[in-house]
Amino acid sequence: MASSVKHMRRGTSSIAVLGVLGMLAAIGLVSENQHLLTLTIQTMVLGALASSWNILGGFAGQISLGHAAFFGLGALVTRELWLGGTGLALAMIAAVAITAVAAVVVGVPILRFRDIYFSIGTLALGVAVFITAGNLWPGITSQPAEALRNYDFTAPYFVALGVLLTTVAVSLWLKHSKVGLGMMMVRDDEEAAKATGVNSFAHKMIAFVISASLAGLAGSAFAFFSVSYYPNFAFSVLWTFEALLVVFIGGIGTIVGPLFGAVFFMVGRDLLPTGIGEFQVVLFGLLFIVVVLLMPGGLTEAAGRLVARTRRPETETTEKTPTATKGKELT
Amino acid sequence: MLRVDALEVAYGDLQVVWRVSFQVPEDSIVAILGPNGAGKTTSLLALTGLLPVKAGSASFRGSSLIGMPTHQMVEHGLVMIPEERAAFASLTVQENLDLGAYTPRARATHADTMEEVYDTFPRLAERKSQLAGTLSGGERQMLAIGKALMARPELLILDEPSLGLAPIIVDHIFEVIRDIRDRGVSVLMVEQHLEMALESADYAYIMETGSIVTEGTGPELEADTRVQEAYLSL
Amino acid sequence: MTQLILQSVASGILVGGMYGLIALGLALAFGVLKVLNVAHGELLMLGGYASFFAFTFWGIDPFLSMPLVFLAMFLFGIGLYQFLFRYVTRTEIHTRIKNSLLISFGLVLVLQALAVRFFTADERTISTSYSLEAFTIGPVRVPVVRLAGLVVAVAAAITLEWLLSRTRFGRALRATSEDWTRAALTGVNVRRVYMIAFALSAALAAIAGSLVSLGYSISPSIGLGWTLKALIVVVLAGLGSMRGIVVAGVFLGLVESLASVWLGGKYREVVALGLFLVILSFRPHGFFGKAHA
Repeated sequence: MASSVKHMRRGTSSIAVLGVLGMLAAIGLVSENQHLLTLTIQTMVLGALASSWNILGGFAGQISLGHAAFFGLGALVTRELWLGGTGLALAMIAAVAITAVAAVVVGVPILRFRDIYFSIGTLALGVAVFITAGNLWPGITSQPAEALRNYDFTAPYFVALGVLLTTVAVSLWLKHSKVGLGMMMVRDDEEAAKATGVNSFAHKMIAFVISASLAGLAGSAFAFFSVSYYPNFAFSVLWTFEALLVVFIGGIGTIVGPLFGAVFFMVGRDLLPTGIGEFQVVLFGLLFIVVVLLMPGGLTEAAGRLVARTRRPETETTEKTPTATKGKELT
Repeated sequence: MLRVDALEVAYGDLQVVWRVSFQVPEDSIVAILGPNGAGKTTSLLALTGLLPVKAGSASFRGSSLIGMPTHQMVEHGLVMIPEERAAFASLTVQENLDLGAYTPRARATHADTMEEVYDTFPRLAERKSQLAGTLSGGERQMLAIGKALMARPELLILDEPSLGLAPIIVDHIFEVIRDIRDRGVSVLMVEQHLEMALESADYAYIMETGSIVTEGTGPELEADTRVQEAYLSL
Repeated sequence: MTQLILQSVASGILVGGMYGLIALGLALAFGVLKVLNVAHGELLMLGGYASFFAFTFWGIDPFLSMPLVFLAMFLFGIGLYQFLFRYVTRTEIHTRIKNSLLISFGLVLVLQALAVRFFTADERTISTSYSLEAFTIGPVRVPVVRLAGLVVAVAAAITLEWLLSRTRFGRALRATSEDWTRAALTGVNVRRVYMIAFALSAALAAIAGSLVSLGYSISPSIGLGWTLKALIVVVLAGLGSMRGIVVAGVFLGLVESLASVWLGGKYREVVALGLFLVILSFRPHGFFGKAHA
């Protein structure tokens, strides 16, 4: 019974992942609505960023509060190279490579910090990078005027989709791999993991670098899609906030969680009446708090419980002994 | 004075204490003995509200302990000295004792109790302004007991009072415990050090893997061959 | 050049006093409850706005409204504890720190958004008749309002120290900070201690906010910056320690100030953060703290 439930759960979550991805892909193929396309691209970028954070935070259990640094770095490198004449593909590869190297350089010292020190260390790092980026690249970056006249959504759309698919694929592979298992053991109990021979530092490092590289990739998609922005915006702690918000609301540690969360967040934000303004942030903030306190599994956990409950009536009816129905009982 | 009936404690799905019952009459020393991991400390923690109780009842001088907040028990006269380092290392000896008389009832006789405690433990008087963290093991245990006495307990619960202490100090501690009983405070202690405990206790329970396996007065248990074989042959 | 350096030293000490003041509250919350409230800066911001509106609408001088702001935020802190942080303190210490980090994160979003909605995103400063006055000590100019900040910080630190070492409640605070279960067994109502400590922490943040709105400026987004400063100071003094906070704050202010003479003002924050990371790497228990268990 237990194993079939697990099988059911794995089956349902794969369906969920495919469902969300399929829906996002379909929108690009079907719609011409600019607003919807923009929203979808933003959702995919956020989903990719959130999934990348999930690898470090959800699988390996290291809560980084400076994730935006890598997102911003990826965006910066891509933007500079691409607008400077380099082909997009090459620019993106360079961005991921540079981000990966940066992650290694930063990871070695910072992963020595444990738990809360790691979190506040990454927070400090993220803010320091944000300020430095603002100092070094103060001017706004804009796409040339011709590109803006007939802005074509197709290319950025499929780049964003590709980035999201790549991130989800890496997450999936990692979750079912031996390396991923090691990460989760470190997450659950680092000392116990070490005692069974798991090199906790190596696993944390791998998670850190993969997570950072994918964040950089998400940043590339952002840079390619955005018309004009201040370079340091991509380094802003708001991106980290949003990634965390989305991962927790969706369900930390799962594959579908960050996706659910991103869709829920972006759609929710879009649907809420404009009069509400800042209150949408209040709502999401409160939801985040509620999730952390009461339902750490987020929407995924809630959905799972709902699914489990809808299956129960079947077992109940089969166990009931059939009784002859009498007219009086029907009141 | 203290009556515990069918106490059950579990850590999530793992049940550690199974239907344990014991009593502590007035003016007596009762010991709960047994090997490591028998669930003795867990029972005490549950009794004092620091662990959730799965089932069972516990009453102290008529009031039910289940559900009572820990700090309120101290006001009622039930004071527990937890295992090891029961004094606050970052406070001085004097501050620890002052803190011991935290409840309104204890505060009323603060000065007098303080004098009594310093009389009982002259070593502590010598080290009044020293940080408790710098005291030796034995001194810290004395401080812990002194601090507990400042709360004017009716029932004093000690968790492994002899742990980590040299035999001569353990002797002294048990002397103090007997003295406390003679002055009208009941004592419940959990101990691994069977011989010493049986010498001082008026009544004892032996606990193994979460249940009480046998009970009796000190001499009765000492004479019990099973107890002798299992524990006293060391 | 010497004039520049001396002025920097003076500015550094003055702003360091502010860092110390806001760090006091954070240290109290973390030391006693083992809760990391990242929204501490938002409480500062709210206190600043309270002072600002008291001044703008009713003409009450910020120093006069300070006790009221303190009281108002104390009550707000009680509310925050009862409705939010109380649930966080139910778990054991390790989870508690992580959960409080995450939850206060959510609180940052909520409070900031509410502030933008009700106060607008504009920067505000309180301009009193004495706002622009300054003492001149040799070549150095010391603005009155910022000196007041330092004075309040030192006064608060001394008061807190007195509370901790000379009162019964202070002993209970220290005992709870060391080990809450043993404190409960001693008869301390841990819930109540937590509530009061947290409320005090919020109130301290609020009066820091009043001083910031007087001597600097406030806007809805300033919270995180001040929280980070407070965090750095708390780590410098020793995570968990409630002593030596203002000293650590002044130290940070000085290092920042002097470094910006050489590196330029734009890198002031980066220097502070860099110092933070260095301290975390080599001496995580700070100057005054003990090594963590």
